[in-house]
Amino acid sequence: MTVRAFGDRAFLIEIEQRIDPSIVDAARAIADTWERRGLGEAIPAYASVVVTFDPARTAWKDAADAARALAAEPPARPAPVEGRLIEVPTIYDGPDLADTAARSGLSPSELVSLHSGREYRALFLGFMPGLAYCGTVDPRIVAPRLTSPRQRVPKGTVAVATGQTLVYPVDSPGGWRLIGRTDLAVFDPSHEPAALIRAGDRLRFVPR
Amino acid sequence: MIRIALPGLRATIQDRGRTGHAREGIPPSGPADPVAFAAALELAGCGPGDAAIEVVGLPFAFRCDDLRVVAVTGREVRVRTRGRVPGWTSVLARPGEEVVVEGTAVTRFAYVAVSGGIALPPVLGSRTTYLAAALGPLPRPLVVGDALPLGPGGLGVEGAGRSIDVPAYGGTVRAVAGPHDRRFGDETVAAFFGHAFIVLPESDRMGVRLAGPALAPPADDLLTCGIVAGAVQVPRGGAPIVLLADHQTTGGYPIIATVVSADLGIVAQSAPGEYLRFERVTPEDAIRSG
Repeated sequence: MTVRAFGDRAFLIEIEQRIDPSIVDAARAIADTWERRGLGEAIPAYASVVVTFDPARTAWKDAADAARALAAEPPARPAPVEGRLIEVPTIYDGPDLADTAARSGLSPSELVSLHSGREYRALFLGFMPGLAYCGTVDPRIVAPRLTSPRQRVPKGTVAVATGQTLVYPVDSPGGWRLIGRTDLAVFDPSHEPAALIRAGDRLRFVPR
Repeated sequence: MIRIALPGLRATIQDRGRTGHAREGIPPSGPADPVAFAAALELAGCGPGDAAIEVVGLPFAFRCDDLRVVAVTGREVRVRTRGRVPGWTSVLARPGEEVVVEGTAVTRFAYVAVSGGIALPPVLGSRTTYLAAALGPLPRPLVVGDALPLGPGGLGVEGAGRSIDVPAYGGTVRAVAGPHDRRFGDETVAAFFGHAFIVLPESDRMGVRLAGPALAPPADDLLTCGIVAGAVQVPRGGAPIVLLADHQTTGGYPIIATVVSADLGIVAQSAPGEYLRFERVTPEDAIRSG
């Protein structure tokens, strides 16, 4: 693991550059430990954790020592969360469907079969309220992120990139490849909790 | 009550931010210029957790039902009541008296604090507005005729006439290299700290977009990681974006450097067409000098 300064009130702890559910669990365990110690908020992702602190309460050196100690001796990984199964009714008519299929050497209907043919796990939430990064997409679907992100992707859009898939919860900018859409509301601030999907839930996209 | 007479282009309720929800993907939001925001609260006799109004696109005007101390901060702002008062000074607003907030061509974010604070009920622990997901007790820009509740008054006549020094806006901000600086390589990092970047008009509360020498991104895609305000992302096109209050909680573009927290407001208040330079500092330097 490496620990790098992230501005003057955070550190980035990187585990390794690989997507693997056990690494996601390790990242979550580090984040939980940091927050339990009351040092500040922590943001786990695929294989890294951003740990924040308040310089008015914790000296930079003490925060740096705490981050390095966590990286050197990470907490035991918790048992994987089983999670609920969430079905996502999906209309596969996204603007990037044909191009993504073509660059993968597939027909659009083959891509739809591959995308809807397996169960995904919500690895973590990030980027926008309620947005769950789900893995892993069949490796036959080749989808690097767009060179230049779109200024606006409508909420409910189903997208893929770099072996992952997600549903955009609100209208937002986005750099993923758009393959379909759903009516399922994955973020609703009038509900508690506002985010439908939790880390550890399972997702299945059902073509309509 | 505070009653809005002129709403500006986009005025929103903000407090210091909605922390503690990053793991649900909910950004902190809060003021784009935290230094100016904190100064406005202090001048108006509010507590650091109180809510005030952030305005983009002046003029902005309002009336209060009862006697209040008000304070306006930001870049090149002033207040008009019975006379003209410079910004960063507390002003007495008599019941029903119109208070007009004015700026200049370079004004980006103005802060209007009223003694007692905006007393709307918090949503997910904060009164901050996050327009992108319609979050907050008033999840839309203010409009003419809005009447917002205020907390108990606090300061009296003696609270007016106090000032806080205006920070130096524009020019150079301090930044810590990384966290992904090693993936860019020394030459690209040196180019980032050695050149001026021009601020593009597409900039907003989410981030300030810059143009300048193209920064060669790392060869390999990175895995998405968590993000803090001040992160300077470099998308594949090579044009950097400095992320601000409404930044995403995670992102996949590599981060060449991170602006120190005390200088975020200078980035936010940069007007399109102005230049920004980044001075390399260590995090300990930044904390020591504030």
